[in-house]
Amino acid sequence: MPNITIYTTPSCVYCKSAKEFFKEHNVSYKELDVVGDMRAREDMIKKSGQLGVPVIDVDGSIVIGFDKRKLSELLKVS
Amino acid sequence: MIYDLIIIGSGAAGLAAALYAGRYKMTTLVIAGEFGGETATAGTIENYPAIASIDGYDFMKTMKDQALSLGVKLADGRVDSIQKEGSAFKLSTKEETFEGKTVILAFGSRRRHLNLPNEKELTGKGVHYCWTCDGPLYGGKTVAMVGGGDSSVKGVNFLGEYAQKIYLIAKGKEILAEPINLDQMKKLGDKVEVLTETEVTTIVGDKMLEKLVLSKSYQGSSDLKVDGLFIEIGFDPDTSLPKQLGLKLDEKNYIIVDNKMRTNVSRVFAAGDATNHFGSFKQDITAAAMGAVAATSAYEYKNQSKT
Repeated sequence: MPNITIYTTPSCVYCKSAKEFFKEHNVSYKELDVVGDMRAREDMIKKSGQLGVPVIDVDGSIVIGFDKRKLSELLKVS
Repeated sequence: MIYDLIIIGSGAAGLAAALYAGRYKMTTLVIAGEFGGETATAGTIENYPAIASIDGYDFMKTMKDQALSLGVKLADGRVDSIQKEGSAFKLSTKEETFEGKTVILAFGSRRRHLNLPNEKELTGKGVHYCWTCDGPLYGGKTVAMVGGGDSSVKGVNFLGEYAQKIYLIAKGKEILAEPINLDQMKKLGDKVEVLTETEVTTIVGDKMLEKLVLSKSYQGSSDLKVDGLFIEIGFDPDTSLPKQLGLKLDEKNYIIVDNKMRTNVSRVFAAGDATNHFGSFKQDITAAAMGAVAATSAYEYKNQSKT
């Protein structure tokens, strides 16, 4: 099972879509809300070089935004 | 298989059409690249009858679940080509080709950009389009919202919960928004400065956004230092598929439809923001109504073709 971290904000629709996608494919993930968690926010910026959410870390591969095709490739799901 | 109906788009128009088509027992496929259309990113919805207040994403998810429960199928992808072949239409995404006897175009419209140098490079680095997503990251910061319509005012009201200062920058002489949203903005008091008849001419920043240059000086300077810039300047219709089908468009490139949401091409219907119906009044309720009418017209065609 890949190690997945998703950096989110509570009102972010693309974050919700990404989490829905993980649920549909029975993939577990760790969620970090970057509004209040400054350390998580710094991590996200360091990994992605930007401040937009969601940022998804799949075993070290960084996906910016809810890029379903890229996530499907990384997770090997269709 | 050949579907009775293929709907392009999963916003309020597309999913309302799917709901009705499902109830009409039509075999129906919805193809959409991005779920939920503009509604999903619109923040809180408070002007849909019988629903006091609901998050846009949750609203669209309910519409989706309602359609899926009736047997409607959903496919991911952006339709790149559409061709009429005999009695069916062939619609292709990068991955797949689908066939349908009737089609509803409900793909909405494309978000406008300022088209300034640096805008693309600094996207996510101070420049944003989704205020519901990235607005909360500007707690205690200074931000600007560009746009003079209702969505930009809703955006300012949302940002008001987080930012310490918000500049609303509009090209026009006045802000055209629902009075209830304008009232809410007024309640933010000095936190909001409205700069009308003003445009952003330059986006300045290297690794992150540093400042904006304005067309009209504000407090003696055309430079405006901001941490974040949110762009909400409206939408333009996508003409690619309508042109492939030879649809008639109005002067602003919206699809011309009649009261039954029929286009000039038989068995092709359109609904929602992509059409000229209701003019510039583009709401969830009008989109959903158009979707319902379009599905009913497709159903009428199905029944007529049996006789």
